Amino acid sequence: MAGKIDEFEFFLEKEWSDGFPVVTPTEERVQWMLKGTRRDPDAVIGRVPPAGEVATVRTIAIHALMAGCKPEYLPVVLGAVELIVREEFNMGGVQCTMHGVAPLMIVNGPYAHKIGLHGGNGCFGPGFRANATIGRAIRLMLLNLGGGIPGLASATVFSSPIRYTACLAENSEYSPWESLAVSRGYSPDDNVISSVMVESPRLHFDDVSTEPERLLRGIADSMTSTGSWHMWFRSGIAVAMSPQHAKLCADAGMSRADTHSRLCELAGRTQGNLKRGGNWRPERARAMDADPDDDNCFIKAVKDPATLQLFVAGGMGPITAVCHGWNDSSRPVHAKYEV
Amino acid sequence: MTSDLGFIDPTASKHRTKIAPAPRSMDLSNKVVGLLDNTKEQGDIILETVGAALRERYGVAKVIMHRKEFFSKPASGELIDAMAQQVQIAIAAVGG
Repeated sequence: MAGKIDEFEFFLEKEWSDGFPVVTPTEERVQWMLKGTRRDPDAVIGRVPPAGEVATVRTIAIHALMAGCKPEYLPVVLGAVELIVREEFNMGGVQCTMHGVAPLMIVNGPYAHKIGLHGGNGCFGPGFRANATIGRAIRLMLLNLGGGIPGLASATVFSSPIRYTACLAENSEYSPWESLAVSRGYSPDDNVISSVMVESPRLHFDDVSTEPERLLRGIADSMTSTGSWHMWFRSGIAVAMSPQHAKLCADAGMSRADTHSRLCELAGRTQGNLKRGGNWRPERARAMDADPDDDNCFIKAVKDPATLQLFVAGGMGPITAVCHGWNDSSRPVHAKYEV
Repeated sequence: MTSDLGFIDPTASKHRTKIAPAPRSMDLSNKVVGLLDNTKEQGDIILETVGAALRERYGVAKVIMHRKEFFSKPASGELIDAMAQQVQIAIAAVGG
């Protein structure tokens, strides 16, 4: 096939990867990947912004292969691409921004469980092929088809580790509540992806609280900071409670919806506090209907409760992962995907 | 598309089209210039200053300001069409 050419070096030198070696796409391997779907390989799924290259089922299969996916992961990758090309998600804005957020895929339903998408111990990190490669396939397409490459279309200052891969399941086995998808009206049997533009998770460690109010006040504090872009915009934000933290609320009689509402109420800072540093401007205060001179005005981190993605994930232990958001121009999205 | 080496080029596309950039005008005198405010704070101040300089120093006939919906969203097709109808040269701002 490749003679004396080193296929791994060949692809790395082409800048067709995220910096790591890829599985070399050959026609035979792509045909193997396409066994993961019944869809027409030439079917157009959408244009990946900002470059606007067309993602077909076949192009998506090529990138899933390169990322290291198994064919059975392909339906999730296809569903994810359908989501990221939606206008209200504004993938193009994120591809070009100075910020470093990425589309986090939270996958609910039986198919995610079947293919081994992990939502437990270590789910944001390495070691789980489905999580690692599905998210990586999305990123490779954002680079190769969308042109979201630092120095080209992307003005990102730092980017972020979450731009390598960002896909996980919920820990439904140990969650005391219905899933994120069910909370939106889907059936537990539906296969659903929810996606939101967020930063890498920060870990809120609380091994002290024994009742929900103290726990949630702490998590709410981790949802705010003077430099967080979402403090002055109607942004999506994600909070992944460990089963232990979620159970503490559930055991006190709080439903998922109760916990969601309480976090939306508590997460915020007074304007006086936010003025001490970060990105406060009088224009931004006015855009939030706040009087810039009113230091006591409470600025909520979550302006629209529908944009908070609260779910249960991670292993056993007293930690909640909080992912800060971006701005008004990207609305979190969710949809069923075809398996 | 498969290369001679048997590898598939992941960026190959039959849907790709090349669009030639519009010719650049080298003379601003008596031209109508459109300035696109991206809504970032102070972007409008920069643009208004640029607009005044274009009129005073380069003889631009008229400056028309347009404003996007939001800085990190692309300008709508309607807005781009409207500018294309009204102006001969367009300048976009980055503020903040």
